[in-house]
Amino acid sequence: MRKTLSRRNLFKIAGGAALAAAGASMLPRFTSKGGWLSPSWSADAQQAAPNLSMAATDGWIALPPDPAMAPYHPDSLAPAGLTTYIFGFRNVTGLTPEQMMAQKMRAQHSAPLFWANQDTQFTLQLTNLGLAMRPDLVDAHTLHWHGFRHVIPFFDGEPMGSVSVPIERNFTYAFRPRDPGTYMYHCHVEDIEHVHMGMTGMVFVRSAQDGAAINFNGRDYTRFAYNDGDGSTGFDRQFSLLLSEVWNEAHWDDAHIQLPQWTDYRVDFGLLNGRVYPDTIAPNSPMIDWAANNIDPATFNAMPVLTDGAGDLMANAGLESLRYQPLSSLITCNAGERVLLRFANLGFTEAAMTATGLKMQIIGRDATLMRGRTGADTSYLSSTATFNAGESVDAIFTAPPHSGNSPYDTYLLYNRAMTHGNGSQMTEIRVYPANTLGPQALPNT
Amino acid sequence: MTIFKLKWMRWGAALSIVLALLMTTSAVNVQPAVAQSAAADGIVCTTSANATFTLRTETGYIGMSDDNTVFMWGFSVAGQPFQHPSPTLCVNQGDTVTVIVQNTLAEDISLVFPGQENVLANGVLAAPQFTGGALTSLAPVAAANGGAMTYSFVASRAGTFIYQSGTNPERQVRMGLFGALIVRPVRPDSPPAGASFVYGAGSAVYKTGPEFMIMLSEVDPYLSQAVERGQPFDMSLYKPRYWLINGRGFPDSIAPNFAAWLPTQPYGALARINPYDPTANPHPALVRYLNMGTIEFPFHPHGNNGRVVGRDGYPLVNNDGADLSFDKFAVNVGPGQTWDVTFDWRDNEGYNETTNPVPVTIPNLQNMVFGMFFSGSPYLGTDGVKPVGDTAMTQCGEYYIIAHNHALFQLDSWGVPMTGPATFTRVDPPLPNNCPQ
Repeated sequence: MRKTLSRRNLFKIAGGAALAAAGASMLPRFTSKGGWLSPSWSADAQQAAPNLSMAATDGWIALPPDPAMAPYHPDSLAPAGLTTYIFGFRNVTGLTPEQMMAQKMRAQHSAPLFWANQDTQFTLQLTNLGLAMRPDLVDAHTLHWHGFRHVIPFFDGEPMGSVSVPIERNFTYAFRPRDPGTYMYHCHVEDIEHVHMGMTGMVFVRSAQDGAAINFNGRDYTRFAYNDGDGSTGFDRQFSLLLSEVWNEAHWDDAHIQLPQWTDYRVDFGLLNGRVYPDTIAPNSPMIDWAANNIDPATFNAMPVLTDGAGDLMANAGLESLRYQPLSSLITCNAGERVLLRFANLGFTEAAMTATGLKMQIIGRDATLMRGRTGADTSYLSSTATFNAGESVDAIFTAPPHSGNSPYDTYLLYNRAMTHGNGSQMTEIRVYPANTLGPQALPNT
Repeated sequence: MTIFKLKWMRWGAALSIVLALLMTTSAVNVQPAVAQSAAADGIVCTTSANATFTLRTETGYIGMSDDNTVFMWGFSVAGQPFQHPSPTLCVNQGDTVTVIVQNTLAEDISLVFPGQENVLANGVLAAPQFTGGALTSLAPVAAANGGAMTYSFVASRAGTFIYQSGTNPERQVRMGLFGALIVRPVRPDSPPAGASFVYGAGSAVYKTGPEFMIMLSEVDPYLSQAVERGQPFDMSLYKPRYWLINGRGFPDSIAPNFAAWLPTQPYGALARINPYDPTANPHPALVRYLNMGTIEFPFHPHGNNGRVVGRDGYPLVNNDGADLSFDKFAVNVGPGQTWDVTFDWRDNEGYNETTNPVPVTIPNLQNMVFGMFFSGSPYLGTDGVKPVGDTAMTQCGEYYIIAHNHALFQLDSWGVPMTGPATFTRVDPPLPNNCPQ
């Protein structure tokens, strides 16, 4: 059965490489390399294309090599420029089967940022590519949407009460999110190990209130964190910040066919969107040029990171070591704008994200607007957002006036836990003079 | 993984005989004056007609999910064998609660009741104890080797509370001298039919029937070993290796109350509910969370957002009476804290095999890995087909939805991952159903 290849499906996440590959994608699958033919591909061919396709595999990322922690860090088995073995997800939407299969050993961390619309069905296909470094580990994988209310076990990804996806098979999850807000997702198989090894990402649900302008404190907003009814969660820009942690020994152990004693857990690196400061402020990996390709960015449902002809992630020149850590945490805005920060923590320890010189209004927790059941406002101002493992926080700040002393004013946002020297879980908030930056088309840009 | 599977085999073998043993065990635990309820699921209440309890220290061993056994202390209703955690005392708001402590240990102990006011010890205000200006106990003690002390207070507020040792608590609480105290409201107004109020004020209600408890705790086996051997222990080296729910690690946590193969760990943590229905099943279930550990535990129930209706026995209302309860998918209870959380499970999509199938192609059997608590079908109330040889623990197409601590390194029993503080919510099909009760 030939898959319908709408313009939206083709472009929504894949990137420029998909343009070149479009012809191949439109061919019936499995004809090009019969060795892949498996029942899962057959099942896949019988249903509509999923909104998003993910692959689960292993790979390597780059963390600061200094200070070294022999023998665990940097890992002696790491490819040049990389330091740390991971398990992870990749967005393989739009890739050909050949390209997708080639992503084994090319996982990224954090996992791809994606989003869905409230009250709209969203399907996500997960393919297990296996672990290149650990062929002895025949672990299945799942995708657990953490915090999704009233999910049925079949789509929850918790392997004891549900099903999981064996190697070279796929499974499609269906969600109809009813509650806007900030969530996270992760593999739930052997989840101490798979979560810690990097199979963690953020997902948020756009509110049904988006679209029509609502005036709040003298400004019109068309995008809102929640269905607040009064515009109080309206924002001009949004940035998603997923917190994760690396215990060097555990990552080394998995690469070297060892097992850690998890009750000895410690945090060697705190990561924001899979990177350690100052890499956190390096730009996003190259993304599809939606303007040049005449694509409405509103049709994307994930960060449209570019892939090359082999399906591999593209990297910025000079930042090749961050090829598998594509998501930036740099926060940029104009003076006077309201900026939504979506925090989620899939590390194992409590975080305290502190913004220097800024007031954050804590407006949501765990995808719930901070408002009492009879309407009392329970949001509050703070310079610090605290949240523990598996918890999310939504905070809005209003960018202060520009000082006039430099092209932009820099504020720091960091975890007071201060792991690794000056705080590896740190990023910068850069406030430009009013009207300097154009409207934000995608989160974290 | 191997050890974990062995544990499961032991658990599974015992399951077949549990119901018969349950009856016997519960009969043993019932006393005329002080009684423990003995339903398979839900909170086991120890009650007393005049809210007077005699708690005697006992020592014993508890089984961990790595098949280790660990020496612990505890309180038991006098005359009863060692149990962990100590009995869950249930009283009514306004009761004068009397707890007589009999100390058989070789060191002084005491009890404190955080959140209670005007606690008396042998009839006088229970005050911190000083010797030569140095604090020796947070409350008057029951002396070592046979001493006793009577504590009493009026349970003025409804809610979930703890009682615990106030003497060397960094050692004695960690050794297990703690338990839950549940105070039920007494108020002039009536709750909706089929529901009960959580507090003496406010509108929070739960479905009358079993309530559930998630008491989170931690154990350092080296501390326990040192205490057992009478050796000193350097508390700066304290490091928990086990984390428990109601004194059990997963999968023991989902075994029934008074499971025969857990003779000293009587309290299960399986929650069993039916789906929300606006007319047939309109009220949520109640979970009482207590943290007996030393750090905040971020507990994560899948599939539902708990509604936090109160903490430390205070309903979440503001000074104007406005309801400030809030929904959360991370129930991060601080040390020594209690949270009362209501929840339900709603069949939002109403998937049905014939009228509303799941909108995806279900892979063939050989292309999925099946969990033992998965019925084999996406549909509630349907037992599907599972591959030959796969374990099936379901009875009537019910759902098992996990709830666990998300500080995942704690989801472990000293090296056996995927054990520790996890349990399930069992969602049975709507009534009437063919599920065994």
